[in-house]
Amino acid sequence: MTALVAGRKPIEGRIGWLERTVGGITANIEHAVFTERHARSAGWLQARDPRAKLVGFLVAIVATSLVGSLVALALLYGAVLAAARASRVPFGFFVKRVWLGIPFFAGIVVVPAIFFVPGDRVFDLAVGPAHLAPSWNGLVGGVLLVSRVGVSVSLAVLLVVTTPWADLLKSLRALRTPQVFVLVLSMTYRYIFLFLHTTNGILLARKSRSVGRSSGGEQRRWITGTMGNLMSRAFKMSNDVYAAMLARGFTGEVRVYSTYRMRATDWLSLGGVAAVSVAVVLATRVLP
Amino acid sequence: MHIPDGYLAPAVAMALAVPTVPAWGLATQRVKKVLNNRTVPLLAIFSALSFTIMMFNIPVPGGTTAHGVGGTLIAVVLGPWAAVIAVSTALILQALFFGDGGVLAIFANCLNMAIILPFVGYATYRLIAAGAPTLSTRRAIAAGIGAYVGISVSALAVGIELGIEPLLFSSGGHALYSPYGLREAIPAMLAAHMLGASIVEGLITGLGVAYLQRRHPEYLTSLRGIFAPEEAAAGRPSQRPLWQIVLATVVVAVAVLGAIGLVEGGGDPNRMFNADWSAVDWPSVGSMLLVTAIAGVVLVPVTYLLLPRSIKRIGSAFVALAVVAPLGLIAPGFAYGEGGAHDVKAAFGYVPTGLQDLSGIFAAPMSEYNLPLPFFSDANAPLWHAGIGYEIAGVLGILAVGGVTYLIARLLRGSGGPTSVAEEAGS
Repeated sequence: MTALVAGRKPIEGRIGWLERTVGGITANIEHAVFTERHARSAGWLQARDPRAKLVGFLVAIVATSLVGSLVALALLYGAVLAAARASRVPFGFFVKRVWLGIPFFAGIVVVPAIFFVPGDRVFDLAVGPAHLAPSWNGLVGGVLLVSRVGVSVSLAVLLVVTTPWADLLKSLRALRTPQVFVLVLSMTYRYIFLFLHTTNGILLARKSRSVGRSSGGEQRRWITGTMGNLMSRAFKMSNDVYAAMLARGFTGEVRVYSTYRMRATDWLSLGGVAAVSVAVVLATRVLP
Repeated sequence: MHIPDGYLAPAVAMALAVPTVPAWGLATQRVKKVLNNRTVPLLAIFSALSFTIMMFNIPVPGGTTAHGVGGTLIAVVLGPWAAVIAVSTALILQALFFGDGGVLAIFANCLNMAIILPFVGYATYRLIAAGAPTLSTRRAIAAGIGAYVGISVSALAVGIELGIEPLLFSSGGHALYSPYGLREAIPAMLAAHMLGASIVEGLITGLGVAYLQRRHPEYLTSLRGIFAPEEAAAGRPSQRPLWQIVLATVVVAVAVLGAIGLVEGGGDPNRMFNADWSAVDWPSVGSMLLVTAIAGVVLVPVTYLLLPRSIKRIGSAFVALAVVAPLGLIAPGFAYGEGGAHDVKAAFGYVPTGLQDLSGIFAAPMSEYNLPLPFFSDANAPLWHAGIGYEIAGVLGILAVGGVTYLIARLLRGSGGPTSVAEEAGS
């Protein structure tokens, strides 16, 4: 993508939204490819049964949400990092991906609360007529929130990065998700990439034919036209897909084969995660 | 609007499954009944479509971009129950796979964006469309307004969900989860959406329906249209004129405001919104209204003529806002949202310490949003003097903010650097 934008001073009224959308789509596709690659490598988490993994991660995320102490959160994060290490997830990627994004979303939202929450002040800096005086309570609450969000996101990222998508979906059955829902999810996942590729093509075609500037109204009309067009394609495609399913003997019944077998190590790992989670939640009562 | 994990207490996140899970079950049943075996491919492909629509960046006036949800658009075409499943599937995929929104918060996010949004949007659409012909402009506008209302109500729901956290879960004075109370979370969410994302959603939905009307009218007859296009209702002439709907909206809004005011004032009509309305000097209010009206009649067209084309409309809108601003002077006491620390204290009985510290910033140079000249701000000056002072202060403020924004944008762009570099990195 860079080649498209680089090297020129941006023209006034340039169509940045096109580049941004194309960029977002490309990032998503790249992310998917990248994820699948790591999900196939030989590591500790990759070798676990996906059902055990899904349940274990859910338990850990619930525990993270219940923890109210910074020390306990740090301990949990240490365990997450160790698991990532054992699963050969690139360390820099894993840490950066989570902690570069979190301060933007969670951090910015929390900043005002540091000043508004009543309580003892850390310091009181007079700037002209104003006072910069963060309170201890606000600070503790803010740091707690940001780190809890960070640990939760790390857990979710680790689960996704170490599990092939098809396995993750099938393991949703272990949580008693209706089969139809799982089937819709997996088909959706497949068609998302088709639509992303189509959209990418449409956008690039538009971009390569654009010279000069177009009005905001024209751009909006074009983009809604594109959406309407995609919707009409979606209708046609769903008819075609249905016809193809009928031709292959689809009767409305969904059958899947599952070759998963929970081994002793899977049970052990699941038990270990549950024990650690309970211990951390209980430890919150003791730790600061 | 995607709530990440960590903002909601697990108890709240799980409690939100109580309305969400049955809604999913009901939606699956409803859609199955209409669609038989076609459910799976149709829903899967429309979920993928919803996901793709959420990827689109829409150019918004002012140079930024925003992205929509598409829930109301799908509700208008496929019906609200199908929209529930399509948007839910897209949200679950986003949470599980792309890390957008929390895993525990899935129920909350689905309730807000996949259940409340399409139903409120669809109901509003039906109310305004009121049986208008399928291809009428009114349908497109109704869809746009429906989308606007739908996403705004959904933002309100997010505000409430986040706002109850500090009430329920705090330890030793600090909040354990989202730190903002209802009084902060609801206005913040509502303002951010009603002035931004909701407008975008309304635009893409209205224009999207208009596109379908022009190119693919057969899709606009909801689910039945897929199987029996010939049954597509051609629509009948409008049965509910537009003025009735506008009037009904105004009456409902006034009634709701009045009810809230009465409740806050303890049932005494003279103490609406807990303010002393008997202290208002109505004749001077009249003269101020007259001055405001004259200022509006003169200023808005002049601005429209003077401004360069690119900012004509938005500039005039801001000036119109500034002209209306003095109306807030009528209301006594804490009527103005931006009340100073002493107003807050009078209203709530205590002052957040941080607010008291920060309030010094706003003291200068135009205190109370008025001009610091005796003609305008003297305590004994007639109300319309203050009104004019407000107007001038408002216009000056808009000019100042606009100028600073323009300068910053100019600097960022002129140096050739940061914006383009950032975009290249981003793309």
